[in-house]
Formats: sequence, C-alpha cells, structure tokens
Amino acid sequence: MIKETPLTRAFWQDLRLPHCPIYDMHGHLGRYYGIWFPRPSAEEMVRSMDRANVRMLCFASHAALFAPDLGNRTAVQAVRQYPGRLRAYLSVNPNHPEHIRRDLSLLDEHPDAFVGLKLHPEKHQVPATAPAYAPALQVAEERELLVLVHSWGGSRHNGPEQMRTLAARHPGIALILGHSLHGAWDEAVKIARDFAHVYLDLTALLDNDRGVIEKFADAGLADRMLFGTDLPWFSPVAALGCLLSADITDEDRHAVLHGNAEGLLARFPGLP
Amino acid sequence: MRFYDCNAWVGTPANGTLFSPPTAGSLVAAMDEAGVEKALVWHIAQHDYDPLEGNDLLSRAIAGHERLVGVWTMLPTQCGEIGSAEEWTGRLIEAGVQAVRMFPERNRYLPRPEVIGDLLSVLADRRVPLLLSLRRGATWAMAYDLLEAFPALTVVLCDLDVWPADRFFRPLLDRYERVHIETSTYLADAGIEAFVERYGAGRMLFGSGFPECYPGGAMLRVRHAEIGEAGRAAIAAGNIERLLSEVR
Repeated sequence: MIKETPLTRAFWQDLRLPHCPIYDMHGHLGRYYGIWFPRPSAEEMVRSMDRANVRMLCFASHAALFAPDLGNRTAVQAVRQYPGRLRAYLSVNPNHPEHIRRDLSLLDEHPDAFVGLKLHPEKHQVPATAPAYAPALQVAEERELLVLVHSWGGSRHNGPEQMRTLAARHPGIALILGHSLHGAWDEAVKIARDFAHVYLDLTALLDNDRGVIEKFADAGLADRMLFGTDLPWFSPVAALGCLLSADITDEDRHAVLHGNAEGLLARFPGLP
Repeated sequence: MRFYDCNAWVGTPANGTLFSPPTAGSLVAAMDEAGVEKALVWHIAQHDYDPLEGNDLLSRAIAGHERLVGVWTMLPTQCGEIGSAEEWTGRLIEAGVQAVRMFPERNRYLPRPEVIGDLLSVLADRRVPLLLSLRRGATWAMAYDLLEAFPALTVVLCDLDVWPADRFFRPLLDRYERVHIETSTYLADAGIEAFVERYGAGRMLFGSGFPECYPGGAMLRVRHAEIGEAGRAAIAAGNIERLLSEVR
C-alpha cells in the first residue's frame, strides 16, 4: 500500500522533505453551493497548505466561476493577501462576453496575480471549442498563460473530442486537462502523447481511481502530471498520501509534486 | 500507529480494473507493506455475482488469514434463501464474521421494515455493524429511512460521496448515536478535524477503500490529523475494535 522509499518515509513521518516543495496547480477559493467546507477562505486554505508543505496554490475562485456579479476580483484580493503562496487563474464565463472583456482587463491591472485562465465548459454548458472562448484563448496564447480546463470522459462540453481539438488549435498554450479527462484515461494518455503542450492534472483522480497514476507514469508521462486538490474541496494531505502509495518512483513523485509545476511557472517573473 | 482497516475487499470483479485484483494473500502482503495490522474484508463476488456464493467465497478466501475478518452480505428471509434471521445471524457469528453489508438495489428488494425488519432487528440486538456503501447502491434517503425504523442499529456509512457530504451525514450523527463514518473517500480538507471537534473521535473509522482507492490517502490523513494522539489512535484502530468487541 505504501512502499518505503526516502521520499515516502520523510512525508509519512513529517509531511515534508527538504528540496521537495509541493505546487498545487488546481485549487479554488471560497464557498460553493453543493458543499460545506471547513476551511474555504484564503487564510484557512493557506493554513492547510502550511500543514501539508504546499508552497504555492494556483486557483480559480468559485465566485469567479459561478457569480458573474462578483467575478475575478475575489481572486485578486486573495493573491494580494498571500502573494508568496497564491496565484490565480482568471475564470472565463462564456455566457457573458461582456464580463470576459471586463475580466481580461484584470490581466493588465494585476499582471502578477494571474498565471492563466480557467475554463469550466461543463458547468457553463458551453463546449470548450465554442467561439465564445476565442478572445480569452487568444490572449492566453499571446501572453503565454496556462489554461486549465475542466475535462471529463463522456462529456460533450469538455470530453476527449473537445480537448483534442483545443490542443490542436492552440499549440502555444500550456493546456492543463483538469481531472485528466476523468474516466477516459486512455484518451488522456493519447492526447498527452500527441501534444507536448498538454498536461495531466491529478485532481479528483486520487479518490477511488487507483491505478491511474501508474498508468500515466507507465505511458512515459510522469513529466506531464501535475499535483492538484481542488482545495478547499480535498485535503492536500490525502492527495499526498495517495501519491505516496502509488507504485511509481521517487523521481516521478518529485516531478509531480514540484518539478513539472516549476517548469510551467518559470515563465512568470518571480516564480517559482 | 496501529491501523485496522474496516473497508477492503478481495477477489476479481466482473468488470475490468486499472489495478490487479487482490487475493487474500496479496491483501495481507499489501497490509504488511503499509503497516496495517488487521482488516474487515468482503469479497467482490458478494456484490458482483451472488451474496450467498460470495459469502462462501469470502470464507474460503480468508480461511487461515487471522488478520482478516469477514463481512457477509445479507438477503431478505422471505424467499427461504438464508433461513430465519436468528439462524442466519447465528451462522454468521459462528463463522467468525463480524459485520454485514447489503445491496438492496442490486439484489432487487426494498430496504424497508416489511422486508428486512426481522434481520435488522437481530443485527441491532446483537450489535453487528451494518456497512452501507454509498458507492454501491446505498442512498442517503435509504440510510435515513433505515435509521428511523431501526435507531439502535450500528451503521458504518462507507465509500462516501467524493464531494464532501457533511450536510447529508451530520443530521444522522446528531440523531443516532450508533452511526459512524468511514474515511476512504471522506476527503474534505480539514474534514477530520471539523468532524472530531463536533462529534469527538469515537465515530470515525479508518477505511482504506483498497483496492479501489490509494490507501495512503486515508492513512496519511489520519496519521497527521490535528486531533491529538488519542483521537488518531481511535480512528486508526480503536473504534472498529470497540464496535467489533460489542458483537454478541
């Protein structure tokens, strides 16, 4: 269940290992309609990050995703509160083009607050390939932003077909498949193999999907996997524990926990 | 820290998996690797194929493995498949089995007092824990109805929704003192700490969800939960040992 290695031993004992920081590349912020969270605020999330040795969280606020009237300013506030620990994805809601224009202007107002865009085609009920996203994706390509897209097997909004099309259309974007096309693991592997700019986010793969991490690693994709937790949804300690009990090497664990994220974030001044 | 896993299975599922299906022997080997002392185990055939033949398969599979304690799947008594409630429960205890699961939807019966009231009354009297899997057919409405009818039943809500389900389970914990939750897919950030603050550490049980879950998730969370050593030890092993010691 947990094989003893230098890395697993250190995290099992102390929840930390020198020279192995953790970058959580898929988080959120704030309250949410379907769940009671014990720790939804930026301050509380950073407390959880401290406990699990998470150096930085890249997040999209729930308010920005689901309350257009609040938009992305809540994310900016959180980053300003914890500039060394938090960076935001600018959430793009395709149902409100005027808000997209408004929110994209935040990239100029707060260039150090954002590392990318977050698309949630399933929740917004607009396919990831729809023209409504084009202005935002164009900006992402111009500015070399990361693009985190919620992806799920079987979805007509963000399933394998949409993710493959998106990857083919935007070779200049680091495209992070949020949840790695959950359930459509073979398709996720194929897309990641076909497109070197596609990354596989492990958020929500670490619950009852044992074997996925090994599948990705065996496919030679350890250098494309990213640690993620949906914080404040899921405990980073739990996600870390899952990674410890996956049958992969310590070298792969280093890549997942920090190496791959450090590579992606190096394009932003002052990071990692 | 000692771990007693209350939620693991063995056997080969009907459908494909990403992991190698565990035998009793490979489960014990995995427990050794992880430092898990004992496990409450069922056989996947009890769900995928047939409860009764699955129960037999389980008993044969874990025979000789003293660290594995069996869980049987129940059926209603009306078709004469298991004898009377008293007879079946007596056979269960005689076989060293210490807990029960049920899959009403899959086995096509209604989980109502008219159907399983005789059996649940005996289980409640004898304090045999009933594990209700939210991943395998149990619903929150079912749990609420069962507990309203049998408030003294010892229930372990396991394989909880991956979306943190406090709004579902907290009313049950508030109302019924013998309801517990299992950890394998209770992944809420700071969820263990918040739970223990409200209910104490006596009503949460360590379960790995093995082989479907990466067991390190629940193990690391329990080991480093910010609830004090006594609370961690209770969740890791003490609570399930206490419940099983009450079976009579």
